[in-house]
Amino acid sequence: MFTSAKYVLSENYQNFHRIVSIAKYELLADMRESKLGVFWNFANPAIQVLTYWFVFGYVFNRKAVDDIPYIVWMLGGMVVWFFVSPCITDGCNSVYQKVNVITKMKFPVSILPMTIVLEKLFDHFCLFVIMIIIFATQGYFPSVYWLGLIYYLFCTIVFAVSLSLTTSVLNMLARDTRKLILACMRLLLYLTPILWNIERVGHGRISRLIMCNPIYYLVQGYRDCFFYHRGFMAYSWSMAWFWGITLALFFFGSYMMYKFKTRFIDMI
Amino acid sequence: MERETAIQFKNVSKIYKLKRKDKDVTKDQKTQYFYALKDISFEVKKGQVLGILGTNGSGKSTMALVLSGIASPDEGEIIVEGEQALVAINTGLNKELTGLENIELKGALLGLTQKKVREITDGVIEFAEIGDFLYQPVKKYSSGMKSRLGFSINLCLNPDILIIDEALSVGDKGFAHKCLARMNELKEEGKTIIFISHSLPQVREFCDTAMWLEGGKMKEYGAIEDVCDHYAEYIEHYHTLTKAEKKAEREEKFKERIIKNRKVGWIDRLFG
Repeated sequence: MFTSAKYVLSENYQNFHRIVSIAKYELLADMRESKLGVFWNFANPAIQVLTYWFVFGYVFNRKAVDDIPYIVWMLGGMVVWFFVSPCITDGCNSVYQKVNVITKMKFPVSILPMTIVLEKLFDHFCLFVIMIIIFATQGYFPSVYWLGLIYYLFCTIVFAVSLSLTTSVLNMLARDTRKLILACMRLLLYLTPILWNIERVGHGRISRLIMCNPIYYLVQGYRDCFFYHRGFMAYSWSMAWFWGITLALFFFGSYMMYKFKTRFIDMI
Repeated sequence: MERETAIQFKNVSKIYKLKRKDKDVTKDQKTQYFYALKDISFEVKKGQVLGILGTNGSGKSTMALVLSGIASPDEGEIIVEGEQALVAINTGLNKELTGLENIELKGALLGLTQKKVREITDGVIEFAEIGDFLYQPVKKYSSGMKSRLGFSINLCLNPDILIIDEALSVGDKGFAHKCLARMNELKEEGKTIIFISHSLPQVREFCDTAMWLEGGKMKEYGAIEDVCDHYAEYIEHYHTLTKAEKKAEREEKFKERIIKNRKVGWIDRLFG
């Protein structure tokens, strides 16, 4: 168990240059494909955010949450969702996507989830810039509390990598995994309190069930840094639960990676 | 002088699973297991240049994968001293990126440091003869140009054991000649080279020992002249056969490679 975790960690550490280069050129190739290039990295999330705001903020006329304008409140959670969701869906496909590489050269397969996350990190920063601008128009400016985001960003990355380690191997065993993940993510967007406040479902069993979702911890964490400033300790239970799940996923994912590292070729 | 061992195979077998997805097959026919390589044992010394010969489907490419450590054997054991590298020509090239960027990308994929990539860049540009196309996206390249670029990056690597699978079939004669010259240089540096090809003249010229694979089994392993002669004889003999005889022989070989009564549950696959 620990040997495999150590193996994955050391492989990721030793190949850091490889990870960065792959992510960099992958992004670059993606931008080259279109004429406007990097513009789309900003335009795509902006359009999506505006759509959600139009539907929920304008048409359904959601009221301010905890005295925070709806669009600001929504964006505070949306920003992390738009990072973690593509990380999970693409991370699941990360090994399969590179099948022609891993079957033709000796390649440290366990770095692939990390390359995807790094790639998506760029989009995350693009959306972050958009978010800061929208926040500024509503009178919300960066403060010292935002430093907590570093911790939550770290959490998000670890969670995304751990989950992708598991799902990417499972996806090699059966391609159905990706389809399942895609369906789940579509569902999770609405089951995670991103577009609606958790208070709306009360404090009963349902709310507790929703809180079990590790992504909820990330969303809540981001929002805490932006608006509530309650600090990390206010969510100690969520925190313990989140790290428990993440570490379990990490160990299981590493175990699978380690076990199948020379077997991927037989699974195509 | 006794040379050190670079690679040692001990009763290595590689098994593939064959699945039929069409209807109207009995349950036994649905999943069959098949020996891609069967019970192969041999030893390669350091600095040896080994040619692997064989007809289509005889297990040469599987051999390359197993030798390079990409695939692990299902039975038996492999001991390798040193770093091995399989020459992969078009792998890892991104068609949207320019030649120069691709050198960096592929270098990184192969695990080179930034410094090392910069060192080899000039060598690659010169060797690949792509000239002004260096700053063009690879999608504008002719197929020969693409292969030359890919191949050149591989040849600028410096592994202890180099495995080349049908690589010289790319590019024109002049380029093949250049590659052979470069490989001869590597040979003189004392690298272990494994050269997989069905071009008999190239193997004869380049290698000092040869292995002949047939139907997943090692038919002969020894000095280059003997193996090549026997292989040439076999090929000629095979050509004289009538169509029906050829088919019979192929089916015979296929049958030998099928494994009967092998069942592997998914639990064994996960945790076994």
